Amino acid sequence: MMTRDECFAVLHELRRHDVVVITTMSAAAPWARLSDSSLNFASVSSAMAHAADFAMGIALARPERQVWVLNGDGSLLMSLGTLVTICQTPPPNLVHFVLENNTYEVTGNQLIPGAGKAAMVQFAHGAGFPQVHEFQCAETMSRELPAILERAGPAFVNLRMAPGREPAPSLDRPLSDCAREFRQALEKQGS
Amino acid sequence: MPPKIITREPATDEATMRERSTRIVAGLLDLDITHAVGVADNMSRFIFDELNEDPSVSVVPVCREGEAWAIASGLWVGGKRPVVLIQNTGFLEAGDALRGTAVDMGVPLPALIGYRGYRSLSTPTPDSVASLFEPTLRAWGLPYHFLQENKEGETLRAAFMEAQSLGQPVAVLMT
Repeated sequence: MMTRDECFAVLHELRRHDVVVITTMSAAAPWARLSDSSLNFASVSSAMAHAADFAMGIALARPERQVWVLNGDGSLLMSLGTLVTICQTPPPNLVHFVLENNTYEVTGNQLIPGAGKAAMVQFAHGAGFPQVHEFQCAETMSRELPAILERAGPAFVNLRMAPGREPAPSLDRPLSDCAREFRQALEKQGS
Repeated sequence: MPPKIITREPATDEATMRERSTRIVAGLLDLDITHAVGVADNMSRFIFDELNEDPSVSVVPVCREGEAWAIASGLWVGGKRPVVLIQNTGFLEAGDALRGTAVDMGVPLPALIGYRGYRSLSTPTPDSVASLFEPTLRAWGLPYHFLQENKEGETLRAAFMEAQSLGQPVAVLMT
């Protein structure tokens, strides 16, 4: 099974400069260490479970650019209905990645409900995602993901990985400042 | 003996609700709203019906009200002008989503919220939602306006302007 660092190295390599990336929980700091793009937005100090729907809103507003959300499995379980909501008003430019490590990592790797039993890809299939994929090996992911990213979505990509030891993330300034700066970045690069 | 199931409260007649919904939709269109995000209830169903027929507004139905705040926040960050339409029951459910997205992100977002139970506020009722609603709005620091009959457009504009000037969501209550 891949590590998050191996997985993120592949995503970072494949990410075009104009792709929006929304991160949350244990993905936020590791992704920020790899990329300081103004099109990154860390859904941190915010509401758990609401990175994917926030990303959906951006994808609907900005159909000209691809929007990735790096969601957690625990976060997804807190708002499973969001998968259905996405498929009801499907933004073809949204890629919903789930980092499945089966734990609430930032609070000390407690097992999530359904760990090892619940199948994330089955949730996505059931919700009606036109594209559902799963990877547990960075090499395969590196080989197959580029073609997936070229197709119309919304896509659901489950990334099975080993739990890490990421502490709880926080922001160095108010979320409102981050949102305003992010909005300006989207405006600037969208014009 | 099991409880007898009764109708929750007398419904306003359909023709009146439709007329009112038409005025509300006109008010929303006048504000150049681009997206309506939420969950329909008995009061808002005709608003959703009319918005679904209007090509200038995209309706985004959600499974749970918390999603409405997050999606609307994403839409605003992306440069759109959304409105949230939910009922007070869902509002109570969605507290952390409201706090963690629209409020903390400073999103100037008008929200039309159905006030279930308003007419039975001063009477004994097993439905507690109405008695908790306004205290919760105040506790969460959300300014609110009551939607006034035949002044729907003015009320919506006032709420929208307040949201813009405060940089935060403002509620409009539908009784």
